[in-house]
Amino acid sequence: MDSRWKYLVLLLLLSASSLSGCRQSHQKTITLHYWNGFTGPDGRTMLRLVKRFNQENPDVNVIMQRMDWATYYNKLFVAGLGGRAPEVFVLQTHALQRFARAGFVRPIDDLAAQPGSLDVQDIDANVWQATGVEGKHYGVPLDVWPIGMYYNRRLFREAGIVDAQGEAKPPTNRAEFMEALRKLTRPAANGRPDQWGFVFTNLETNVYTLMLQNGGEFFTPDYSRCLVNNPKNVEALQFGVDLIRKYKLAPPPENYDAWIGFRQGKIGIAFEGIYMLADLQKQKDLDYGGAPIPRIGDHLAYMAGSHNLCLRSDLHGPEQQAAWRFLRFLSDNSLDWADGGQVPVRKSLRDTPRFRAMRVQSAFAQEVPHVVYLPRINFIFEFQTEFDTAVEKALRGSATPQEALDTAAANINKILARERDAEKEGGK
Amino acid sequence: MPREQTSRNQQNGKAGAKRLRLYEGMVALGALIFVFPIVLILITAFKPDSEIVHFRGILPQTVTLANFHEILGSPEEIPIARWFANSLSISTAATLLVLTVDSLAAYAFSRLNLPGKRWVFGAIVATMMVPGQILLVPVYLILNRLGWLDTPLALIVPAGAGAFGVFLLHQFFVSIPKELEEAAEIDGCSRWGIFWNILLPLSKPALATLGIFTFLGSWNDFLGPLVFLDSVDHYTLPVGIALFQTSYYAEYGLTLAASVLCTLPVLIAFLLFQRNIIQGIALAGLKD
Amino acid sequence: MNQPLLRRWSGYLYALPYLLLFGVFIVAPLLYGLGLSLFQWEMLSRLKPRFIGAANYLEALHDPYFWKALGATFRFVVMEVPFTIGLALLIAVGLKSLRGKRQAFYRAAYFAPTILTISVAGLLWRWFYNSEFGLFNAYLGHLGIKIPWLTDTGWAMLSIVLMTLWWTVGGPMVVLLAGLQNIPPHYHEAAALDGATGWQSFRHITLPLLRPVLLFVVVINIIGAFQVFGQTFMITRGGPELSTRSLVQYIYDTAFNHYRMGYAAALSWLLFLVIAVFSLTQFRLMKER
Repeated sequence: MDSRWKYLVLLLLLSASSLSGCRQSHQKTITLHYWNGFTGPDGRTMLRLVKRFNQENPDVNVIMQRMDWATYYNKLFVAGLGGRAPEVFVLQTHALQRFARAGFVRPIDDLAAQPGSLDVQDIDANVWQATGVEGKHYGVPLDVWPIGMYYNRRLFREAGIVDAQGEAKPPTNRAEFMEALRKLTRPAANGRPDQWGFVFTNLETNVYTLMLQNGGEFFTPDYSRCLVNNPKNVEALQFGVDLIRKYKLAPPPENYDAWIGFRQGKIGIAFEGIYMLADLQKQKDLDYGGAPIPRIGDHLAYMAGSHNLCLRSDLHGPEQQAAWRFLRFLSDNSLDWADGGQVPVRKSLRDTPRFRAMRVQSAFAQEVPHVVYLPRINFIFEFQTEFDTAVEKALRGSATPQEALDTAAANINKILARERDAEKEGGK
Repeated sequence: MPREQTSRNQQNGKAGAKRLRLYEGMVALGALIFVFPIVLILITAFKPDSEIVHFRGILPQTVTLANFHEILGSPEEIPIARWFANSLSISTAATLLVLTVDSLAAYAFSRLNLPGKRWVFGAIVATMMVPGQILLVPVYLILNRLGWLDTPLALIVPAGAGAFGVFLLHQFFVSIPKELEEAAEIDGCSRWGIFWNILLPLSKPALATLGIFTFLGSWNDFLGPLVFLDSVDHYTLPVGIALFQTSYYAEYGLTLAASVLCTLPVLIAFLLFQRNIIQGIALAGLKD
Repeated sequence: MNQPLLRRWSGYLYALPYLLLFGVFIVAPLLYGLGLSLFQWEMLSRLKPRFIGAANYLEALHDPYFWKALGATFRFVVMEVPFTIGLALLIAVGLKSLRGKRQAFYRAAYFAPTILTISVAGLLWRWFYNSEFGLFNAYLGHLGIKIPWLTDTGWAMLSIVLMTLWWTVGGPMVVLLAGLQNIPPHYHEAAALDGATGWQSFRHITLPLLRPVLLFVVVINIIGAFQVFGQTFMITRGGPELSTRSLVQYIYDTAFNHYRMGYAAALSWLLFLVIAVFSLTQFRLMKER
């Protein structure tokens, strides 16, 4: 190519790419940047909500950015360091503490206290509590995502697990659960079942829930010691292992995509988050239902998380008012958000025909009073790595539950010690 | 040539022809295996999501355009044309930058009489062993300082710092006979003239090779755009397509359709492009 | 050396644009990373970065996860490099005997997978390898075989290597092909006249003449293989049981998930050391012969 062409093309392309950053000028006075980790169909649902807000509020322009959760928190933090933090952002409950203590989030108690503002009483108490750090509340919970039970209604009917009307009857306690699994697991011709009663889709959420239901603990109340290897936890994990290896009612776990088995209609029951609903809705040939997880242990407890809407700590003046208006809009319209597979935390909104018509969301919503979040620690991601690895080892049979959890506890205690030393040295 | 020799050559020729056909057969089979997954992507993109999950066979039972429709039908939520344009402009710009900057530097290190040349060039080549991830966080902070985060510059400019191209072109320049240059010098050609009029034209194949590798490296770069870009409108294809995955599941139909839309044009361009460019690549004498 | 000093220094002007970029985006970050590795900097806490000397490096050497990740990376390199180079050479030799359009067509076919982005290639192969519902086991199932592609700690890395072969062999293949085509044909003709077989010709003429290109390709490949990240991240997320978590992924987790910047920097430098040792060793080995 002639050299002149080369440079011309370069010029053209550079200008083209810089143009992609140009936006048409707005008459809007206030621009709010809104970041979250909602990829997939969630993100598109949220985007539609944002669009509606912008239409209904001509003086505010909300620009939403979504990126995958894995890098989201880090980018959020570094953006804050560089003065590029968004005005509004989402934090999951288990990450809230870390950001709040680092000074990035604006407490919203004063805004919530304004008359006619957000009705805090309307939000589930336990979910609202969870946004509290050292006495102040740091975000408006948008939803709660509990881990609930999805079940294949056709398989249930075929196995004869039905109620008086002949409709599939999901189990509610341990005995019914085991009975259902036995009826649903069907060996194929070569001896390997081609239909399983249960499958572990997400090792972490499934086993955490089992442990909670068994009355297990994870840390001492002051978070000075890790108790993940206490007998109740071991017992719960052993139950999971037994399902696979002793009773053979669940297949040995896949790293991924056990969920696909459920979508294919080969699995009777799976414990998964409400956020999987959007994926299920695409499976037109699957007759699925949702219900609270059966009471397998003595305790009523379900693992859950929440998405909280948070404000940047230095927000003030008209921007702050506009941002608060946006937060309220999202909260008031959380039924639209629920449509995509979420459970709103506004009790009044759940008490509507529209929500009740959302079968699965309503079923999962029954769990809300008893949801339990992940431990409130700074090093939650390292905790997850340790916990997930231990659970994986046990379920795959590479270690006994006691061994695996002992290792995890030892490692986590080391991390605790490291954090303590760092706090001492670094001061505050 | 004596008769026996000719007939032996003829026999060898026949055996050779059979062997050639055998080779071509194996090559063709291998090529089929390599291309099969790509064809599979194309075919599967026309299946509805629910069928993809079942995998009842390679060919779709229901042919549907639903995936493409969903991808192309909501440009605000899925700005795929944007992503494609971003990828194209960023990769092209990065390639041009690398070709320009690296050829100049390679010329200097291979042909000019620079003091301390060996040390500097050695240091440059040594950095090729540095894993890119070492640099990720510091580069991120530097880009933040420059204000380039979330702009195409964050992906274009650092690409010009790689040592691979300088090394490659250096090796190539070194292999070009010195006599050509010396003759030009005697004719009064300047250093620039030698570079522009002699070395560069002779180096087209090497430049083309470097261009292709740089373009593809930039096109496929995932970690860079993941970390340096924030706005969905600025995303490049790999990161944009990754938006169809959540932490828990992937939207297969949409991902496959998106990749068809984005890979096919590049593949076709490559098919046409490579015939003119790669043919006769002479990476002669990569001496050290 | 007879040129005046100024003229010699002015030659650096040609290299200036590159050296500028090199300085800002490679040298400065390298030094920064080296410095950072001597600090304890945990983002997302109020603690300021604290100088701790070589403590990060010591921690790494005692960190079982570091060794595990290093082991996983090592297993990958040991499998991937010989297979890739071998396969690339094989294909290149096969292609060499073809001419013109046919060669161009097949060349493009082998190179095509390299054009796919990792998000798509990873997704595709994850489906191929799913032991219950994947494409491979669906067909192997007819033969009564079920391979635990991604679920067995022994198979998992092999599966990733296999996918990498498909995805990346095009690059080295193109370069080797160019190198092969560059060997003047009269060498082979002379050998044929002397009665040498194809294999002998290959061993004693082709390979030695190909050595410089081969060396280049091998060293580049080793360096790249040690930095494997995309495939392990997309296909297995480092599982099962962290057995395929590469060192780069561990560094990424440490920096972006655990927010321990100083420690991540130290891990990166240790990786650099490993790469340097291996690539230089390989370089020496291949040069001497």
